Amino acid sequence: MLRAARGQQQIQATKRLWNVVVFSIGGMRLAARTEDVGGVSPWTESIPVPSRTPFVQAMLKRDHQVMPVYDLATRLSLTLQGDPLLCLVARHADGPMAICIDAAVPSLEAVDAAAIRPNISRDIETLGSVTINGDEVAIVALQRLGRLG
Amino acid sequence: MSLRGHHKSTKEFIETASFLVVRLGGSYLALPADGVHGVLTSEEAGHEQAVTAAGTLYQQVDLAHLLSVVADLSGLEVRTVLYSNGHSHGAIRVEQVVGLTDVERKNCLPLPPQFQCDERRWFDGVLLYGDLLVLIVNPAWMLEEVAEVESVAGRETAQLVTAGPLTVGGSC
Repeated sequence: MLRAARGQQQIQATKRLWNVVVFSIGGMRLAARTEDVGGVSPWTESIPVPSRTPFVQAMLKRDHQVMPVYDLATRLSLTLQGDPLLCLVARHADGPMAICIDAAVPSLEAVDAAAIRPNISRDIETLGSVTINGDEVAIVALQRLGRLG
Repeated sequence: MSLRGHHKSTKEFIETASFLVVRLGGSYLALPADGVHGVLTSEEAGHEQAVTAAGTLYQQVDLAHLLSVVADLSGLEVRTVLYSNGHSHGAIRVEQVVGLTDVERKNCLPLPPQFQCDERRWFDGVLLYGDLLVLIVNPAWMLEEVAEVESVAGRETAQLVTAGPLTVGGSC
């Protein structure tokens, strides 16, 4: 009984922590759940695709894999900073999607789920926001980023 | 198993599709090759709105405009591709004809679902051509405008034919 209760406490403690990747776009710090991130690598030139989908107007080719590019910097009206820029692969619900991010190398953080507040700003799809090192950081909902309707 | 049978079983049937790869603006596009009726230089195509070749009228299709692509159609490598789907015939000006390629159908990839708007009608998918990522154009969509023009022209002709005897009769 005691062991079971302790086990339950441990599960709750584990559940309370969210592991996030903190990255930046145009100097703005953003976060994403680690399970929503497929990887980070140097940015390679994207290929323009005629498209009317907002912020999805290019693709990226990696070996024999192609993936759409989501222009999060333009959506946030920010200019990417640093060189070389990095590519964050989002595990989007519709398949992998590349996002160009600042050259600053992303970091891993564990945040308390209870400290996550609903995001007031509706600029982008988020899971809420959290304070990391004194900064208010929005946790981007990568899985549904850019979905219309 | 007989030797003949064994030989037969090792032969794989590979389904391929042929495409004419062209460049327009910063995009590389693939046109299903079975609809390509010819490729003309600017000189051969002339400056008319339509091109007549082998007795067929090919209406001009402004693919750059349809795709909202900025293209420079004044270069030496500009070509006019005569294209037909059997019903409609279009003359498509492109900046460059890159080449003809056979692609295994399994290497033709669908357009990622993150593309959610008109482009889903514009393109049937993507393929890799060497280092290039090429968008497979949907010929039915590309020739849609031409089909409408042809249909209107057809209706007008039909009306003229219908009106013909009365007009002729009236003038006589």
